Amino acid sequence: MSIVIKNLEKSYGVPILNGINLEVPQGQILGIIGKSGEGKSTLLRCLNGLEQPNAGMITIDGHPFTGIPDKDRRRIQQKIGNVFQSFNLLSRLTALENVMFPLELLGQDPQTNRIKALKMLHLVGLEGKENAYPSQLSGGQSQRVAIARALIRDASFLLCDEFTSALDFETSLDLLELLRDLNKRLGITIILITHDMAIVREICDEVCVLDKGRIVEKNDITSILLYPQNAITKSLIRNLINRDLPHHLQEILLKKPSPDSAALLRLFFSSQSAGDPIISSLVKKYDISINILVGNLDHIRETAFGSLIIAIPYELPKIEAIMNDLAIRDVSSEILGYLPQKEGHLWDT
Amino acid sequence: MGHLVLHSFIETLVMVGVSMVLGTAIGMILAIFLVLTKPSGLWPKPLLFQTFGIVLNAFRSIPFIILIILMIPFTRFWVGTSIGTAAATLPLTFAASLLIARVIEDALNTTPKGLVEVGKALGASNLQIIIRIQLREALPLIISGLTTISINIIGFSAMAGTVGGGGLGDLAIRYGYQRYDFTLLLIIVIILIVMVQCVQTLGNFLSVRLKK
Repeated sequence: MSIVIKNLEKSYGVPILNGINLEVPQGQILGIIGKSGEGKSTLLRCLNGLEQPNAGMITIDGHPFTGIPDKDRRRIQQKIGNVFQSFNLLSRLTALENVMFPLELLGQDPQTNRIKALKMLHLVGLEGKENAYPSQLSGGQSQRVAIARALIRDASFLLCDEFTSALDFETSLDLLELLRDLNKRLGITIILITHDMAIVREICDEVCVLDKGRIVEKNDITSILLYPQNAITKSLIRNLINRDLPHHLQEILLKKPSPDSAALLRLFFSSQSAGDPIISSLVKKYDISINILVGNLDHIRETAFGSLIIAIPYELPKIEAIMNDLAIRDVSSEILGYLPQKEGHLWDT
Repeated sequence: MGHLVLHSFIETLVMVGVSMVLGTAIGMILAIFLVLTKPSGLWPKPLLFQTFGIVLNAFRSIPFIILIILMIPFTRFWVGTSIGTAAATLPLTFAASLLIARVIEDALNTTPKGLVEVGKALGASNLQIIIRIQLREALPLIISGLTTISINIIGFSAMAGTVGGGGLGDLAIRYGYQRYDFTLLLIIVIILIVMVQCVQTLGNFLSVRLKK
């Protein structure tokens, strides 16, 4: 299914969506990312027909989906699968009965439904869990049931709303792999809404970044990660690769420098600057010793991006010069705090 | 005397049984109506919802013994007579419907919003959402609510004697209290206790079994 959104607007007294334009071709996995309260969920609710936009239109496979009678909308809704953050399974139905539920609503033959639901459960990797109740399933298993339920009507368009937010990262990765697989095998178009760049990176072909009800950036995933244009995009990527300081260092971190203390700097690379030998050139140029405390580098194609936390001896003029130098090289830096010097060796972890 | 007790016991069973069955059917319809029309409901009609709620509450505040008397003209019209077990069943059904409507309404309102949205996103009709999602989810709560109401109705049925309805309560008042037959009174009290216990145990059992 292909989806076209034109000038979509929605407000609840205050404007939520301010003119969204988006095209999703058949078979694409699109990530819609943004911080909470920026209109992601509202956009999704317009797409699954739970909300009606105030202006603009949505067409699905060339057929209008907005401004049409309820009856016609319901017919299109049957081709749209939804996966929610909170699973939303019926607690008194078994896994199998939950998967059958959308067919039950259509009043089809229970025996045929059963066979179809069994196939679907196998497809999502839940053999042997047919008769388990949701309370007996783990979060990951529950979400698999929900995915099977979303697809049982041969949906060709899947909407996922923060569907991994209630799960741990490992489980999330497994589910993303399942979605990838379903996308390849069945050619399903997937729109995934999340606040987490890590999820988007794993699975999406295209990403659009939502801020204040507008799409501020849209590109393929590699370009978004390597050359983010918008400040919001940059901050979302920063969340992706930021690792915090280890706890034992945080405890002894000083707010103000003391004589002989070391400054902790966080460097953030998000472009090709990461390819330059920055650390070694700093060492040579300023004749200082640099201690790398935390490093998190990631590669997309041949380019590295990531963040580093380094400790350097505290000498104000030098530190200012270093930070200026880094800025010229397109590496942003900030001082996190200061570490007292231990007797003998330098802030060694 | 044993014959009299058995006869009254059957009368109580009939009054409570019939009024509970009819009351559940009527209460269910009232509850569905209330849940549909509430401001955040699937078919919001706030004015209708409020008016209806006020009327229900007004009827619920009438003490049962007075309700029986107020209903005599209707009972005569519907049942043909205002005296007897059948005549007592009508006000009992009425009272049960009102109580059950509220219990089912509350139970339906506990459905997580997300589940209702699943139904909406699947293109389900409002009635399908209520019946196939909300009623299904709320069933254990409804059963435990009905259990409590059955016990209330057993208590109410003692007042049925006012219109010659018979039943254990009536027997206890006429023979036990007015004729000072305390042995009979005691026997009836014990029968009522056992009855209530059985209803409660059955209700708990069903409610727990339905919860998954």
